[in-house]
Amino acid sequence: MNFLLLAAEQNTPFNYLPIALQLLIAVGFVGIMMGATHLLGPKRRTKDKLINFESGIPSVGNARQPMSVKYFLVAILFVLFDVEVIFFYPYAVNFRELGQEGFLAVLMFVGFFLCGFIYILKKGALKWED
Amino acid sequence: MPIQYYLFLSMALFCIGIAGTLMRRNAIIIFMCIELMLNAVNLLLVAFSKMWHDASAQIVVFFIMVVAAAEVAVGLAIIVLMYRKVHSVDINILNRLKH
Amino acid sequence: MKAIIAATILGVIMMFSSILMKDKKAIITIAALLLAVLLGVNIWDVMATKKGSNFTFLFNNMILISREGLWFNMLMTGCTFLYVLLSGKDIARVGTHTAEYFALIFFILTGVYLLSSYNNLLILFIGIEILSIPQYILAGSDKKNLKSSEAALKYFLMGAFTTGILMMGVTLLYGSTGTFELTRMDFIHQSSVNGMSLAGIIFLIIAFGFKVSAAPMHTWTPDVYDGAPTPFTAFMATIVKSAAFYAFIRLFQNTFGGISNHWTIVLSIITALTLFIGNLTAVFQQSVKRMLAYSSIAQAGFMLFAILSNNAVASQGIIIYAVAYSVATIGMFAVLMKLKDYTYDGFNGLAKKEPVLAFVTTIFLLSLAGIPLTGGFMAKYFVLQAAIMQGQLFWLVIFALLMAAISAYYYFRVIIAMYFKQGNPELHEPLSSGDKFMLALTCVLVVLIGIAPQLFLASI
Repeated sequence: MNFLLLAAEQNTPFNYLPIALQLLIAVGFVGIMMGATHLLGPKRRTKDKLINFESGIPSVGNARQPMSVKYFLVAILFVLFDVEVIFFYPYAVNFRELGQEGFLAVLMFVGFFLCGFIYILKKGALKWED
Repeated sequence: MPIQYYLFLSMALFCIGIAGTLMRRNAIIIFMCIELMLNAVNLLLVAFSKMWHDASAQIVVFFIMVVAAAEVAVGLAIIVLMYRKVHSVDINILNRLKH
Repeated sequence: MKAIIAATILGVIMMFSSILMKDKKAIITIAALLLAVLLGVNIWDVMATKKGSNFTFLFNNMILISREGLWFNMLMTGCTFLYVLLSGKDIARVGTHTAEYFALIFFILTGVYLLSSYNNLLILFIGIEILSIPQYILAGSDKKNLKSSEAALKYFLMGAFTTGILMMGVTLLYGSTGTFELTRMDFIHQSSVNGMSLAGIIFLIIAFGFKVSAAPMHTWTPDVYDGAPTPFTAFMATIVKSAAFYAFIRLFQNTFGGISNHWTIVLSIITALTLFIGNLTAVFQQSVKRMLAYSSIAQAGFMLFAILSNNAVASQGIIIYAVAYSVATIGMFAVLMKLKDYTYDGFNGLAKKEPVLAFVTTIFLLSLAGIPLTGGFMAKYFVLQAAIMQGQLFWLVIFALLMAAISAYYYFRVIIAMYFKQGNPELHEPLSSGDKFMLALTCVLVVLIGIAPQLFLASI
């Protein structure tokens, strides 16, 4: 059970090297990508180029318009289904030790999950257009 | 690090959460304060888990996070329902039930 | 154990029945059938354990199955069955999502079963959440009505706040004992109690106080019970509250029973306040629905005696009290749902127009007031006897009897309005013979609990 504690047992600064590397790569990747597009992309600063781009037509109205409830519903469902994935982390770490019984339990969990998904599909919660 | 530091930190967070819940009038902010309370609990659980060398508290943290997400789903739906009717999330408006 | 699984699966089936069927009558029939199945599973569960047998642990000691808990489950499922038969039509009238309402009721029952069998504070937390989250939805289910949405928002904010406090209590207990398992928590010796665990117990008392609406944590109750659709108020005020009480007594009698000297004084102040505020405020209400909300706070005061007294009679008393109070309140709300006007004036002259309805209402109210020969009397007798046996709560018992006398005033006001005042009460629809039969059956049950309470305790 104490998989999370095992990693913390040898608590030396050296253990944090992979994290530092990961951080370096993540920040470096973003930095390089943003810098490269800035340097490599063609630049033509005319007035037409700098106005807000809205599929070629002039922009209309205020951007702070009430959002459709459909969007809200999808967001809520995303929150629910997103967080449930958290239970897979302990299972993934203990995959071998839990064996058949653990697999069945996770299968049941996914089954109930799927029931909820089929339900919202059938109820039309994910239908974007009216 | 001694456990007291964690205890004081999470108790401080918890008290900020309680004070916010009791004093703020905006339903969303109250909700955020409640989440803060739960996160203070999570922090304390993880600290205790390390103290007792027992991972079960970390599993409890997972459960708290999931249940909080379920509460967010229901709670935001209720707040939106309310907002569509009175165009406000101020809980001072909620006094129609008190005759 | 079978019941927990069955309730979940039946809830999912109920959820999907809304996709397959649109007819409300058919959905009510299916819900009643599935509840009958669930009741059968519960009876099977009780039969499968031998009388006087010890506990069984399941799922790595997370769940403790005892015959008493199974018996409580069965009684509560029976009450739910009665509730659906009595007010199924009214549930369907609340909104368009009839099947979902019933599905949520099944999920709430899952929470009830978890709360009667938890042996781990994690399961307590999950049980309370499964019990509460569907209720937030049910409270707001009348989407066109602003009061219903308000009740839902208020209930939700208070409920989520309570969750935070409950979890803080659980965490502090874990910090001081190093385990979430109740059977491993060693609170028998006074020496194992420290400041952290006491703080945890206080947090738990506050959290449970919110859930069972004990004063001074009761402020949400009248607003929520008044604003929520009446059929769901009936459910919230009875089965859900009883389950929360059962969880409360399980924790405080079994686990913290050995150190009762530390928490008895806090709980007895809460009990006295609950009795006082509940009864006194109920007197001044104009709406019967709101009066019933305050009366449910007052009844919670009596149920708190069972937790305070901390002995074997108390655990029998809480079961009798849960059943007697649930049956009478479900009946009372079923009567209320038939009427259009919820004020006292709405009851004027009911005895002339609908003598049967007026008679059953009288029986329910007598039971709630605790008049002999009704269930309410026996329930109060059991819990107060338990408190007297405990020895140090005599002053509180006297106070409770005084408050019970006050409670008679507001219950009898309804009876006086029905029998001695002139008026023409409006009903949603004329009483069918099925309604009359169900109301009469509920009435018989109320009297049966009063005459033969041992029937409801026989098999523990």
